[in-house]
Amino acid sequence: MAGNPACERFVPMLSPYVDGELSSAERVNVEQHLAACRDCTGRAADLRAESGLLRVGLDMALDDVDFKDFTQRVMARVTPDKPPFMERLKLAVSEMFLYQRTAMISSLATAAVLVLVGMPLLMSDRAPVGYAAERMTVKSIQPYRNAEVAPVVMETDNGGTIIWLVDEDSDVLPAGAEGGERHEQTGGGQPDGNGRSVPARPAPDAAPRPSGGSL
Amino acid sequence: MLGCRTYLATDDLTLVKRVRTGDQRAFKLLVERYQRKVYAVALGMLKDKEEAMDVSQEAFVKVYKYLDHFKGDSSFYTWLYRITVNICIDVIRKRGGGGEAVEFDESQAMDLSEARIGALGSRLGTNPQKSALRRELAEKIQEALSTVPEKHRAILLLREIEGMSYDDLARTLDIPKGTVMSRLFHARAKVQKILSEYLELDEAKSGVGSE
Repeated sequence: MAGNPACERFVPMLSPYVDGELSSAERVNVEQHLAACRDCTGRAADLRAESGLLRVGLDMALDDVDFKDFTQRVMARVTPDKPPFMERLKLAVSEMFLYQRTAMISSLATAAVLVLVGMPLLMSDRAPVGYAAERMTVKSIQPYRNAEVAPVVMETDNGGTIIWLVDEDSDVLPAGAEGGERHEQTGGGQPDGNGRSVPARPAPDAAPRPSGGSL
Repeated sequence: MLGCRTYLATDDLTLVKRVRTGDQRAFKLLVERYQRKVYAVALGMLKDKEEAMDVSQEAFVKVYKYLDHFKGDSSFYTWLYRITVNICIDVIRKRGGGGEAVEFDESQAMDLSEARIGALGSRLGTNPQKSALRRELAEKIQEALSTVPEKHRAILLLREIEGMSYDDLARTLDIPKGTVMSRLFHARAKVQKILSEYLELDEAKSGVGSE
């Protein structure tokens, strides 16, 4: 050991001293010794330099290491077989709320706005397409001017409803098996009891003869 | 992005809990958080880049596999580094004794008079800059580390790479704090001696400081 006999006691304390691991009393003792000992001051400086050198040198050794695939490789080794669908769904939702809360909230808000704006547009009036097109609804009933008409309501096999508007003017229209002239609305039909609309179609031969009545 | 930041700031134990519920992404985060440091420890221990890469990946796989054994009464990283160091020591032992460092006699005081006092400090200052170092010196550091016995090397690496406290080092390596202090002292003295000699030789070769 160096010339100063006190160094023997202090040299082993220099390493914890530079690491900040000494108690305050020990630190004060070491600092008093350092103030009086040039050799130990040099040793402490060496320890600090070595520490810095190791840190920088080890970091430098990592410079050309590519960690791009590191995580993927580890994950490939630890990922278990595919869990059941419901488990995956539950996990995905909980992960989304945990990690992407902001993105999740903004997506939900956007979806809500789209629904609020889009639904009324979708529900707005749409001209029925073609005779007996699906989802046709009766918008209005407009008999010929001055004509006396009466609605004939029939139920179809599938629970829908057909409304015929029959002109009562027997002079013009002889009552026939077809039930006289029909003034069906374009795409006439009526929503049934379940809220579904039923396409209007010509009455079958077996349809009851219209009995007429006041509109 | 905010969600991403929240997620990055999540502490280790919360992520560990998430992993236990099957959250793969939480584990991915832990891997990303520690991959560089775990690799640096493995590289310092083994000196071989390929081996260091395999060992670091193996360490994370083991962590995942035995996560239920982690009680959470110590830090996650001390547990992770313990696994890493143990795998490294296994690899070193499997390699056989050829060229490995000789164990220090810790009961004997290190004779520091062999090294030139102040040699490193005067050449490098207390905070050497990366730009000032040459690759050759970085290689010399690896070489110096390999002369230190593996248990001492592990302590030195964990202290310098992770900045672990002596208490954490004692917990990680399951040794008393006094042993940490003693091993660190010996490891540093050994590395310092080699690096001082190298720098002195280098200085003489390049003619710096010569008359």
